[in-house]
Amino acid sequence: MVPQLQPGAPSDLELMNAIQAEDADALSQLYDRYNGILKALILRVIHNEAEADDLLQEIFMEIWNQAKNFSSQKGKPLGWMVTLARRRAIDGLRKKQAYARAEERLQNETEQQPDAWAHNATEEEIVLSDTRDLIRKVITGLPPAQQQAIDLAFFKGMSQREIAAKTNTPLGTVKTRLELGLKKIYDGLKELRGEL
Amino acid sequence: MNFKEFQNQSRLYVIGALEPEELEEFEKARKKFGKKAEDYIGECYGLHEAFALSLRPAKASTTIKERLMAMVRARKQA
Repeated sequence: MVPQLQPGAPSDLELMNAIQAEDADALSQLYDRYNGILKALILRVIHNEAEADDLLQEIFMEIWNQAKNFSSQKGKPLGWMVTLARRRAIDGLRKKQAYARAEERLQNETEQQPDAWAHNATEEEIVLSDTRDLIRKVITGLPPAQQQAIDLAFFKGMSQREIAAKTNTPLGTVKTRLELGLKKIYDGLKELRGEL
Repeated sequence: MNFKEFQNQSRLYVIGALEPEELEEFEKARKKFGKKAEDYIGECYGLHEAFALSLRPAKASTTIKERLMAMVRARKQA
């Protein structure tokens, strides 16, 4: 499920192997390939352009420093980078005690854009690969309440109780929304893997 | 916990949404199901990649890469 590569371009795994051998050019190529995706993820968490840029730099530095800990047996390079970036972004959000301010910004944005994922799927966007469009369709096909619960859990690092309190929803309902939504996405991804 | 319930919990686990009391049960089941459990959790991490790919890519400041590569070169020389 990675963006399409130019013919002859090294695979993500080849780049990771080269980074493990301290090849700085490989890191440069990996940065060119994924800085946009990781920046989008960070921005979705912390909602601050300058902080997102700083964090992006720190994350790629961590990729360089921690590359030896990456194992292809445990997953793909992009998955590893996204997991690392998400953790750092959520940690950063909490560490800077900006949670309340980000919450306020999120609230404002949510009021303007009730469906954040759907907002991303406009015709104004740059052309995306078929894979990305299909993933987005799976996610935006969920009922809004399930999208919201997953959004708060994944991009804000909220627990089920925190989501329940924020959305004024019973805890059991939040759990059901998360379970149903994640299952649909997981099943959708499995179908996509079969098609691609 | 049967394996179907474990699968449900695994999807919550990978996004960090299990409550502490659920996490305890989950870890017990994880041990019980062994490799099958680890393989399934590994698959669930594909959700992270999917969520990231679902976002519209954002443009990073042009100076970020320069700073990053300068730091990497300095680290290599150290």
